[in-house]
Amino acid sequence: MTGLMAYVGARLEVVDPLGIIHVSELVKDFRRPKRIKGALGGLRTLVTRESVIKRAVDGIDFTVDEGEFLGYLGPNGAGKSTTIKMMTGILQPTSGKIEVAGIVPWRERQRNALNIGVVFGQKSQLWWDLPLRESLQIIGKLYAIDPARHRANVDWFVELLDLDPFFDTPVRQLSLGQRVRGDLAAAMLPEPRILFLDEPTIGLDVVAKERIRGFLSALNREAGTTVVLTTHDLDDVERLCRRIILIDGGKVTYDGDVESLKSRFVQQRRLVVKLAAGVEWRGVGIPGVAESIGDEAVELAFDPAEIQVSELITAVLADHQLTDVAIVEPELENVVHRIYASAGMA
Amino acid sequence: MTTEPRDFGREPAGRLIPWWRSYLVLLGAAWRSQFQYRANLFIMILSGVAWQGVGFAFIWVVVAKFGTIGGWSLSEIAFIYGIRLTAHGLFVVVSGRIFVLDTVIQEGEFDRYLVRPAGALAQLWNRQFYLPHLGDLLSGLVILIAAATEIPADWNVLTVGFLLLAVLSGGMIEGALQVIAASFAFRTMNTRQIRGMMDDIFSNFGGYPITIFPIAIRLILTFVIPLAFVAFFPSAVLTGRSGGLYVPEWLALMSPLAGPLLVLLAREVWRSQLKHYKSSGS
Ligand SMILES: Nc1ncnc2c1ncn2[C@@H]1O[C@H](COP(=O)(O)OP(=O)(O)O)[C@@H](O)[C@H]1O
Ligand SMILES: [Mg+2]
Repeated sequence: MTGLMAYVGARLEVVDPLGIIHVSELVKDFRRPKRIKGALGGLRTLVTRESVIKRAVDGIDFTVDEGEFLGYLGPNGAGKSTTIKMMTGILQPTSGKIEVAGIVPWRERQRNALNIGVVFGQKSQLWWDLPLRESLQIIGKLYAIDPARHRANVDWFVELLDLDPFFDTPVRQLSLGQRVRGDLAAAMLPEPRILFLDEPTIGLDVVAKERIRGFLSALNREAGTTVVLTTHDLDDVERLCRRIILIDGGKVTYDGDVESLKSRFVQQRRLVVKLAAGVEWRGVGIPGVAESIGDEAVELAFDPAEIQVSELITAVLADHQLTDVAIVEPELENVVHRIYASAGMA
Repeated sequence: MTTEPRDFGREPAGRLIPWWRSYLVLLGAAWRSQFQYRANLFIMILSGVAWQGVGFAFIWVVVAKFGTIGGWSLSEIAFIYGIRLTAHGLFVVVSGRIFVLDTVIQEGEFDRYLVRPAGALAQLWNRQFYLPHLGDLLSGLVILIAAATEIPADWNVLTVGFLLLAVLSGGMIEGALQVIAASFAFRTMNTRQIRGMMDDIFSNFGGYPITIFPIAIRLILTFVIPLAFVAFFPSAVLTGRSGGLYVPEWLALMSPLAGPLLVLLAREVWRSQLKHYKSSGS
């Protein structure tokens, strides 16, 4: 068995020497007792012991390189949290392989824990009745962190996350944004190589989000931490992630960088023109251009592969007097929305 | 003041420590959490003592009315009660509130135990320290010591040693049974009733000589829920009654081993059930 694992490990090493997370053909099924509706439904549910199987993760493959900042995105119920729980050792896969910094997480949960930091947006890992300062001390002892390293890290985090104003307040009295900042410090104190974040910015105000983004970006850049982030906030993604994996129904639907995602899924560009006072819209008469006429401006959607921008502008100018013209690049938000919608998930 | 950015390199700062060290760190954290509320400290402990005192007073009244129960005098029954309560006190003082496992799982808190380099049970065990538990231990010790001086026992190194081991083992028995019952929460079963029932049986039957119950109940309390090993068998041994029991004498003499054995069993059950943990859906 060990021989086999060593062999697999060696092979993965050859395939991708930089990889720090290897996931292949990963599957997770949840078995749930089948609820029977109708008369005596509850009782019959108990007696029949029938169950339905929900496949939350359905054959996922990817490799994350050391130092990457990965956005792991998808609609609700896509299987994001379930994948993260398998990478962090919380859940055992139904089948498939998973290796995080050379360790099979569910098999060596505690050793894996040394290599990873985990922050779940809605659930704190801090000691509720103690101030953040003491939680960090306890974590220092639990991980047997060298005092000098401990101090240097705490100093850096206090500055980056601005923890000072609430460092000595019991965690139960902190605002959500302060608490998440505390959780980030706690997760990163043992200098893990990989940080997993499951919707860390959910419910936070703009200022708190900004601070957290700044912290994550510095961690990735300065400390060299590999980051895996799930979020519904696409500003997070545009600001931070160099690579995106999109999943839906437990399967990977896209794996690549943000720019290619935009160009691959949204062929359309939009030309927005503002007409001078008193000018009526008469149309451009080019096939393949969708016009939508508003009060202030006219929007023309077109595919840049088919129609040249210059051609379109020339056609507009031939018939109209304009005050302004602009080309709108697709926004990630619209792109992802469109992808979800086409999958019937929006 | 600006701090230097840190480069964490490829070596994490943490390492695994022995289980007993993480246990102590976590226990310390739980104690410190509770002692944040210093003002409550005294009142909380007192309320624990009062609660146990009322329980004992009830037995006292019953026994005083009849003089003896099943051939056991008032002080001998107090001795059984004292062992039971001290053992219980030891268990609850070091275990925090193990019975919250159902809630801990449902609310997703258990996930975080699994992403720390420490045992999941140790973390649940030290999730919270509950001050009234100190009251249980204190009342138990007071009753036990008072009763020990009253009963016609021959106290020497051997008997005192036996008593100490029996009390420790008693705490382990209760703890192990509670862990076994709680383990089934991983199969998303509701374990609240079964654990509540166990607690009731321990506090309602634990303070009486088991021999006053019909044989069927005696056997259940010996071999199914081994309550007899907590306080009754040790008391029977120390008051010279171990010869005439409903079980062979050696079984009563071995009662200090029951705790460690059950702890080993509980560890296996916990591990086998933990495999069924499914986390909670979002
Ligand atoms: N513990 C669980 N028990 C049963 N079903 C679950 C559990 N966790 C997740 N699921 C189901 O698996 C699917 C994926 O869930 P999840 O990974 O939480 O999705 P996401 O994080 O992408 O929103 C959903 O249909 C969810 O209901
Ligand atoms: Mg989720």
